[in-house]
Amino acid sequence: MKSFFRMSYPYILWIAIFIVAPMVMILLYALSRTGNSTLTFQFTLENFTKFFRDATFMRVLFTSLRIAFLTTVFCLLIGYPAALFIANLSERAQTMMVLLLTLPMWINMLLKTYAWRGILLNFDLESEMKVFIGMVYDFLPYMIIQIHTAIAKMDRELLTASYDLGANKWKTFRRVTLPLSVPGIISGITLVFLPAVSSFVIPKLLGGGDYVLIGNLIEIYFLQAGDWNFGSAISLIMALIIIASMWLTRKLDRSEQEA
Amino acid sequence: MKKKKTLWDRFASGYLGLILLFIYLPIGYVVFFSFNESKSLTNFTGFSLRWYENMFQDSTMLQSIYYTVVVAVIATVVSTVVGTIAAIGLSKSRKLIRTIVLEVNNLPVMNPDIVTAIGLMLLFISVKMQLSLVTLILSHITFCIPYVILSIMPKLRQLDDNVAEAAMDLGATPWQALIKVIIPQIYPAILSGALIAFSMSFDDFVISFFTAGVGINNISMYVYSMKRYNPSVNALSTLIVVVVTLILILVNLIPYIRDKKIKKEEP
Amino acid sequence: MKKLISVLLLLCLVSLPLISLGDANVLNVYNWGEYIDKAVITNFEKEYGVRVNYSLFSSNEEMYTKLLSGASYDVLVPSDYMIERLLKENMLQPLDKSIVNNLDGLYEGVTNLSYDPDNTYSVPYLWQSVGIVYDTTKIDPAKMEEKGWSIFLDPEYDGHTYMYDSERDAFMVAFKALGYSMNTENSEEIQAAYEWLRQMDKAVHPAYVTDEVIDSMANGEKWMALVYSGDGAYILSENEDMGFCAPQDGTNIAVDAMVIPANASNPELANRFIEYVTRYENALMISSEVGYASPLTAVLEELSGEGGDYEGNDAYMPRAGYEKDEMFHDNETLKKQLSELWIKVKLHE
Repeated sequence: MKSFFRMSYPYILWIAIFIVAPMVMILLYALSRTGNSTLTFQFTLENFTKFFRDATFMRVLFTSLRIAFLTTVFCLLIGYPAALFIANLSERAQTMMVLLLTLPMWINMLLKTYAWRGILLNFDLESEMKVFIGMVYDFLPYMIIQIHTAIAKMDRELLTASYDLGANKWKTFRRVTLPLSVPGIISGITLVFLPAVSSFVIPKLLGGGDYVLIGNLIEIYFLQAGDWNFGSAISLIMALIIIASMWLTRKLDRSEQEA
Repeated sequence: MKKKKTLWDRFASGYLGLILLFIYLPIGYVVFFSFNESKSLTNFTGFSLRWYENMFQDSTMLQSIYYTVVVAVIATVVSTVVGTIAAIGLSKSRKLIRTIVLEVNNLPVMNPDIVTAIGLMLLFISVKMQLSLVTLILSHITFCIPYVILSIMPKLRQLDDNVAEAAMDLGATPWQALIKVIIPQIYPAILSGALIAFSMSFDDFVISFFTAGVGINNISMYVYSMKRYNPSVNALSTLIVVVVTLILILVNLIPYIRDKKIKKEEP
Repeated sequence: MKKLISVLLLLCLVSLPLISLGDANVLNVYNWGEYIDKAVITNFEKEYGVRVNYSLFSSNEEMYTKLLSGASYDVLVPSDYMIERLLKENMLQPLDKSIVNNLDGLYEGVTNLSYDPDNTYSVPYLWQSVGIVYDTTKIDPAKMEEKGWSIFLDPEYDGHTYMYDSERDAFMVAFKALGYSMNTENSEEIQAAYEWLRQMDKAVHPAYVTDEVIDSMANGEKWMALVYSGDGAYILSENEDMGFCAPQDGTNIAVDAMVIPANASNPELANRFIEYVTRYENALMISSEVGYASPLTAVLEELSGEGGDYEGNDAYMPRAGYEKDEMFHDNETLKKQLSELWIKVKLHE
C-alpha cells in the first residue's frame, strides 16, 4: 500500500518537463528587460514595479477576481442542488444526466457565446447580468459534475443510519451529505474559479466591450504589444494572488472539516 | 423499489429540467440558425441547407473535425491513464510532495491559455522540436491531466484505506488491490475526469494554435480565425450534436436490448 | 463504452501515418480565416496535381508569433506593416518574376507601396480602407460627409455607436480627426489623440466591438460603426438603409499581400500559386466571395460596374491616391504605447 506513492513518479517527471520548465522560461521573461528574450538575459524587476505603480492594472485584476468570484458563487448556488437531485436518480439516469451536461461543452465556446448574444438581444438586461449569464453557463457543468461525483456512490448506509438514529432530512443533509461533499465542492470551485479569473472572451462579447480583464490584458501584451516580458510578469502576479486565495479556501475547508 | 412521487421529487425533476433547458438553449439556437438562408445570426430569413453543402465542400473544415477528434481521443485516453495513476500515487505520498505537486498541477488550469501556449512553444523551440501533430498532442495531454487529477483527488480522499489494506492482508498483490479494489471505487470520478479532459481538448484554441504544426487546424482554430462569421460552423456544430446524441442513444440502448434478450432466453 | 473508446483509439492510430506523411507536392498556405473562395484552392490543386495544406490565422501578430517557432510555410498573406517587419528581419524571399509574370493588370493604387517599393517580395491579395457605416434613415449623409470623424464626438449619437476595439484603428481615427499623421511618434500629438478618444468615450459611450459589429450593423442595431470597407460592403449589401463614408480627414488604406517566407520548402510552387491567384478569373472569385477590394483593375471594374456583385455599393471600392490617406508602418514601440493608452480609454479613466 505504502509503495503506491511511487506511482506518482512518472507524473512528477511529466510536470517537471511540461509545466515547470515552460513556467521557468516565463519567469525568466518576467525578470528580464522588456524587449529581451531569455537568450540575452538582463535581470530587472521593472516589469513587476510597473504593474504595482500603475493603478490601472490592479483595477483590472480586481475586476477579474470579482467576476470570477461571483461566477463561482452563482455556479455553486445553482449547481449544488442540481448535483444533489442528480445523485438521487437511478444509476442509469445519473450517467445519462452527466453525459447530457457534458455534451454542450463539445460545442465551441465562441459559437455558444454568439448564440447567447443573439438570444439576449431580445431581453433588456444590464450588460453585467448578461456577462454573468454567459459565465455561469460556461462553467456550471464543471461545478455540477464535480459535486455530483463526490456525492454519488456515497455510502447509502450512512444515510439510512442517520435516519434510523432519528435525524430528519435536513439534519442528515447537514451532518452527513454536506460534509462528505466538501471535497467535491472544493474541486468544483477550483475548476470554476481558476479558469474564470483569466477568461475574457465571454465578458467581451456579452458585456458590449465594457470589460477589460486580466486575461485580456495578458493577451494584449503577448500578442498585440509583443511585450512578452511584461505579459509574463502580469500572469505571474495573477497566479500568485490566486494561489494565495486558494490556500485560504483550503484552510477554511480544513477548519470546516474539523468542526 | 418504485416509490410514490412526492412533491419534493417533482420539484427536483422540475429543477433539473430547467437546468437542462438553460444548458441546451444556445445549442438549440445554433442548430436552428444552421438552417438559416442568410448569413445572419440574429435574423432568420428562411430555411436552407446551403451551409451544410458549404461545409461538405470545405476540405479545411472537414480536416479540422478530423484533427479535433484524433487529438481529443488520444489526449483523453493518455491523460486519464496517467492522471489516475498519478492521483493514486499522490494520495499515498508525503504531504509536502502532494501539496507541491497539486499546486503545480493547478498552474495550467489557472494560467491564461496564452501563457501556457507560449511556454510550451518556447519549450519545443528550445529542445529543437519541430511543431507537429506530436507537439500538439503532448500539449493537450499536459493541460488535460490536471483536470483528471482534480476530479479524482476528492474521491480518493473519501476512500477507506482499510479496504485495500484488508485485501492485501488477505493475499492480494498491490496490483490486484489497485485494479480490484481502488479503481472500482473511484470509477465515477475517473469517468467524469475523462469527460472534462475530452471537453477541454475538444474546445481548445490558443494552446493548439501555438503548438500545432504547419497545416494542422482544429475546429476551434477554424472558428476563431474566421475573418467573417461563416454559418457553416453552425452546421458543423449541429453535426457534432447529432453524432453525440446518436452515440448516447446507442450506449443507453445496448444494455436495454441485452437485458431483453437475456429475459427472452430465460425459460 | 470501453469498446467504443478502444475502437476510436485504434482508428486514430491507424490513420496517423496517413496524414503526417510529407511530400514535395504539398503547398503550405497560411491565410486569414474566411478570406478565399475555396474553389480557387481546389482548382489550383487540380491544375498542378498538388495538395494545398491550408492553415488559418486571425491576426498579423498571431501569425508572426507562430513564425517565430520556426514553422515553415510556403505562402503567407500578412498586411502591409507586417510585411515591412518581415522584410526588416530578412524573413522573406524575392518572388520569381519569370513565374509571377502577370502583374501588369494590378491597380495602380496598390502597387509599389512603401512596404515593398517595387513589389520585389509581395503581390497584393485584397485591400481595403477604414470608414463609417451608418444608418441613412437616422443620420443625414450630408451631415456625415461634413463632420467626418468628428461625428464620434457628437453627443447626439450617445448609445448608438460602435467603435472597433483595436488601438490601431481607434487611434487612426483620432490622429486623422486632429489632422496628424497616423504614424506620428510625437508625444504631444499622441497625448492629444488620447484626449480625443477619452472625449469620444464620454460623448457617445460606444460599445467596443470586433467582428460582431458586422452582423449587428446588418441588423441595424445601432446608427453608426467604424468598419473596414470590405465588411462595409457586406453590410451595405445586406441592409439597404446603410451608407458608407470614408471621411475627408483621411483614413487608413490597408493591403494584405502574398509573400514567400525565406524558409519556404517549396518556393517554386509558391510562385506558381501567387501567379494563379493573380489571374483575372481567380481574383474575381475571391473578391466577389469575400467583399474586399481586388488588386486587379479589371476585377474592380467588373464587380463595381454595371451588373457586378457590388454595383452601387459605396463601400466596395476604396478610395486610392487621396493625399490625406496613409498606410501603417511597422513600429512596435508606438503600437505598445497606443495599446496601453487604449486600455485606459476603455476603462473610462
